Amino acid sequence: MSQLSVDHLLGIKYLKAEDIELIFETADHFKEVINRPIKKVPSLRDITIANLFFENSTRTKLSFELAEKRLSADVINFSASQSSVKKGETLVDTVNNILSMKVDMVVMRHPNPGAGVFLSRHIDASIINAGDGAHEHPTQALLDSYSIRERLGEVGGKKVVIVGDILHSRVALSNIFALKLLGAQVKVCGPKTLLPKYINSLGVEVETDLRKALEWCDVANMLRVQNERMDISYFPSTREYTQQFGVNKTLLDALDKEIVIMHPGPINRGVEITSDVADSKQAIILNQVENGVAIRMAVIYLLASKIKK
Amino acid sequence: MNILIKSARIIDPKDSKFHQTTQDILIENGLIKEIATAIEAKKDWTIIEKENLHISRGWFDSSVSLGEPGYEDRETIENGLNVAARSGFTAVAVNPNTHPILDTNADISFVKSRAFNKAVDLYPIGALTVKSEGKDLAELFDMKNAGAIAFGDYQRSISNPNLLKIALQYVQSFDGLVFSFPQEDQIAGKGVVNEEVNATFLGLKGIPALAEELQIARDLFILEYTGGKLHIPTISTAKSVSLIREAKAKGLDVSCSVAIHNLLLSDNVLKEFNTHCKVLPPLRTENDLQALRKGLEDGTIDIVTSDHNPIDVERKNVEFDYALDGTIGLESAFGALNSIVDTELAVSLLTGGQERFGIASPGIGVGEKANLSLFNPDIEYEFSEDDIFSASKNSAFLGRQLKGKAYGIIANDQLILND
Repeated sequence: MSQLSVDHLLGIKYLKAEDIELIFETADHFKEVINRPIKKVPSLRDITIANLFFENSTRTKLSFELAEKRLSADVINFSASQSSVKKGETLVDTVNNILSMKVDMVVMRHPNPGAGVFLSRHIDASIINAGDGAHEHPTQALLDSYSIRERLGEVGGKKVVIVGDILHSRVALSNIFALKLLGAQVKVCGPKTLLPKYINSLGVEVETDLRKALEWCDVANMLRVQNERMDISYFPSTREYTQQFGVNKTLLDALDKEIVIMHPGPINRGVEITSDVADSKQAIILNQVENGVAIRMAVIYLLASKIKK
Repeated sequence: MNILIKSARIIDPKDSKFHQTTQDILIENGLIKEIATAIEAKKDWTIIEKENLHISRGWFDSSVSLGEPGYEDRETIENGLNVAARSGFTAVAVNPNTHPILDTNADISFVKSRAFNKAVDLYPIGALTVKSEGKDLAELFDMKNAGAIAFGDYQRSISNPNLLKIALQYVQSFDGLVFSFPQEDQIAGKGVVNEEVNATFLGLKGIPALAEELQIARDLFILEYTGGKLHIPTISTAKSVSLIREAKAKGLDVSCSVAIHNLLLSDNVLKEFNTHCKVLPPLRTENDLQALRKGLEDGTIDIVTSDHNPIDVERKNVEFDYALDGTIGLESAFGALNSIVDTELAVSLLTGGQERFGIASPGIGVGEKANLSLFNPDIEYEFSEDDIFSASKNSAFLGRQLKGKAYGIIANDQLILND
């Protein structure tokens, strides 16, 4: 397989396992590139990419922009705060206006689930979903699985627990799809109020006891509690959340094995993860960030190669 | 006007001696003059001859939203009634969800006046509360005098139980019918689709079935206390059917309806974030569909409705969360219903609602007022934009296979055909 089966990256659920393998192999190459003294390749000199962020983002936006620039693509940035969206323009009109300026690819973050799928029906450009509401965040899931593969050799057969706010998390959903597709076993762990009632229909098991979950797993992916997305309190206090679902050194030392700790960032130190854990050798949080650039380069490169000029 | 209908199969399960017979029917000045196996046509008569022509009493839809006043770009009363006629309906109850809300005698009179002299009879539902805000009762008696047949705030729930209690007590002096939309808003939260496997898969916020069932259970408790007449529009879950079944067995004066799209489409159709399928109550599971159909067969569900709700493209062709709820349904109503139940039951369900609202439904017999729906129950086709007569095209049934199509109606001494 030398080409992706899709023209857009709207979600992991639209990919095949072979697509992910191809992205990983391509990312291996780009990871080598970004560790060279000259971190740039001329591959996409004829491609213009628009980063459309209808919702705040720092790291994902930076990671995409860096990936685009290292591929030598031309980049334009757009965020909702400076846009005409607030003047009542529709998403399709906004994007079509930008595309009229001869843009080949759109990277979009949007607060609404399905926004990328909706856009793909109406515009003529390749779309990468950089997070759409609580739906998907495919590049995050790809870089997470890629980081597991890097640390443990492979993803298939590994036991991964995703801990925390699953209800409001696109990262959780994309991770579940990617890990299942690659043959990992997945559990989710958190207070019942933050686990979707029908989450087990996605082929994952629910565990509400963090200690048991950690004993079971090879990898724990700690998610941030997304207070900004909550309309009511889903638990009484941060303190009480940490007591039940925070990972600390004592918990990890009590295990009879060394598990891998992941976090998609931004970290709330002392809430879902203590500083000593975040900074330990077990944690691959900064590797994830580095791999994010390589993965995004791979995705952009592979999708760009499908654009007919 | 003299109209001669040739070779029509009569479907009138209620009490007609002509049920399941093929007859010629002569209509003179709006009344049925003669029914016989062969009537010879005379010059100047309008002759209706159609392939596989079937006729029944006129169909009634208990929940139709027309945009007028206020949202005329979505639909006007004039075109809306024409859509109803071409879809086989001779009477529609229209919802008060206009701008302004229909909450006074004057509003009801205005809507009635816009329907004056039309083939299709329009029966307004007055708002239960002022501006449908759920705070104070609107002038219900006054609206009844202007022609309101029932009172409800369309898809806005009555969150205050005491308000429902008072409403059910108050309307008893004039035999009023109260609608209570089945949704507990706190539980429903910001949900946009059914809370189930598909919502989880798509990352969309879910409305639990619990939100509907809790509200219905509450309403039935209140009804048991107050007495009076309660109608629960558009139920959508299996447990709602059981709750109402039990209440009816207890002897409570409760009726309910189901929207046809909730009978045919499950939340599986949401996969592509199709906003035409964003409706309220949301599309539920296959299991709910089966329970609702059982409810139709055993009489728990009294009425089917298209819950026709025209929405302009600007409010549908947007991100899923931003799209307004609703689908048009008049044009697809018969074809959809007739594809899941037999034609006799379909006709019974489409003609069974009038009684609950105190609306006359003339039978098929000599001397009766001609109030007839004309249709072909066997034609199979893919429902497309060509089948839509509404100003708005937001149909959840686009691209789906339907069985059966209306030819039109004869009512109020007018003939309206859809070709």
